[in-house]
Order: sequence, then C-alpha cells, then structure tokens
Amino acid sequence: MTTERESDQLLVERVQAGDQKAFDLLVSKYQRRLMRLVSRLVHDPAEAEDVVQETFIKAYRALRHFRGDSAFYTWLYRIGINTAKNYLVTQGRRAPTSTETDAEGAEGFDDADSLRDINTPESMLASKQIAHTVNAAMEALPLELRTAIVLREIEGLSYEEISEVMACPIGTVRSRIFRAREVIADKLRPLLEFPVDKRR
Amino acid sequence: MDTNETLRAHISALVDGELPQADAELALAALHETDGKVAWDRYHLIRDTLRATPAPALSPGFAEQLAARLAAEPGALAPDAGDSADSHNGSANGTTESTGQAAILANPGTS
Repeated sequence: MTTERESDQLLVERVQAGDQKAFDLLVSKYQRRLMRLVSRLVHDPAEAEDVVQETFIKAYRALRHFRGDSAFYTWLYRIGINTAKNYLVTQGRRAPTSTETDAEGAEGFDDADSLRDINTPESMLASKQIAHTVNAAMEALPLELRTAIVLREIEGLSYEEISEVMACPIGTVRSRIFRAREVIADKLRPLLEFPVDKRR
Repeated sequence: MDTNETLRAHISALVDGELPQADAELALAALHETDGKVAWDRYHLIRDTLRATPAPALSPGFAEQLAARLAAEPGALAPDAGDSADSHNGSANGTTESTGQAAILANPGTS
C-alpha cells in the first residue's frame, strides 16, 4: 500500500518522464486545496484563481528539479504562497504589517459596538457573527501569520510541514500560529465576554 | 512574554498536538485555570469556524484553461531546457539556496 506522498511521487516521476497526463491528475487532486489556500491570501476569487493557475504552470515548469525530498504538496504550496505574495506586490497591495495589527486594541474593532447592540446572548453568539469576526480578523492578519494559521487550521499541515512550506524554523511556526490565534481571540472577546447587563 | 502568555503558547501547541513532552505538565495544569480554559475554548472555536467557512469554488472553465496552457508548454520537462538549475529538492531551504529557473519559479518574489 502506498502513502499519499508516495503516490504523488509516482505521478511526479511519470511527469518527469514526459507524461503530461500525470500532471493533470495532480492538478485535479490539488486544484481545490490550492484555491482554498490562495483565496485566504488573495481575496478576490477571480484573482485567486489566476494565482492558482500560475502556480500550476510554475510547478510544471520546475517539476524536473523536484527530487521528492519533501512532499509534493508542501512544495506546491510553497510555490502557491510565493506566487500569491508576488501577485500582491505587483498589484501594489500589501498585507497589513505586524505593527498595524498590534496597534489595534480590542476596542479598535469596528464591529464591536454593533455586536454589543444585539439583544440576546444567544444571537450575540450566533455562529454567523463569530464567523464574520474570525474571518475579518484573519484578513487583517500580517501575511506570515495568516499563512501559518491557514496551513495549520484549514490545510491541516504539521508544524514541520509548515516550516518546509514557509522556509522557517518550527519555533517560528509555533510562534506565528500562537500570535495569529491571540489576535483573533482578542477580536472575539467583545462577542464572548461582554456582560449582558452592560449591553444596554 | 509573561507567564500567562507562555502558558497560552503551550496550550496553542497542545491544541495542535505539537507540544513538547517537557511542557505538557505545565500546559495541562494551566488548563485548570480560567485563562487557560478560555484560551483552549477560543482556539478551538477559531479552528472550527475557519474549517466551516467554505472556500470559493473554481470556475467551470478553470480545468480547460489550465490544460490549454500546459499543452502550450513545449519542452518544459525536457532534460535540459536551457538552464542549469539542479539543486531544487523541495527541502525547506531549497527555494532560497537554489539557483536558476527553478529557484525563480519557486520563489518569484526574488525574481
């Protein structure tokens, strides 16, 4: 029985031997996962799709140099993240810096007041509002923190795999994920902690 | 990092199953305190929320468009397409240490 990594490697070797159809199989397998990852970095779905397409083209061109020392998907994700970063730079956009994010206090969260106006604790805790808060906080994260937590929480990568994708030490991965969680948890606090009797 | 923050950092790693054994006892003790329990609850709430958020779907023409572009990549996999890159091995440092086309492709921000 082959592991997922081994079966990917078999396909990679087929591609390296000149079988382009084998690459189509890898595209078919990873296109949605890559879109899920890239769309967290490049928010416009059409632009994210362009980045995904560019990522596969770059991977295809570079595949003959891939020797399988790491898993194919960690290599692909790294190309995807770098392509997304490059895209954001060429579009004249940038991710928020750590300083900007850190500078925002919990009270700086624009939606906090409106969320406090909701009448019942039940509705205040409604999953839609929590989802909105979490996703808004995610979008405001510095790119490195956002990338790390997406790779962990959405893609389910281990710290070691994330360190390969992001080309940084495991300790940095651990710290980035923690800091991302702290920022998001801080944004959730007005929703989860504001006492009922002080809301009116 | 103050003590509470350090303990929350341990809890964060514990949530991921990535906490070193040496720190496990401290983290488990912290989970009996309010701050630790709140952190545990919120980290899982964040995880569950992120996983429940759907990703945008690829457009119907995506596969065909990509297939057409790939088909127009002549000789991309030929043994020597004109560059001397030979060190990209997919390792954590491969991107920055490689030279030639593979490094440029894998790390376009440096190109």
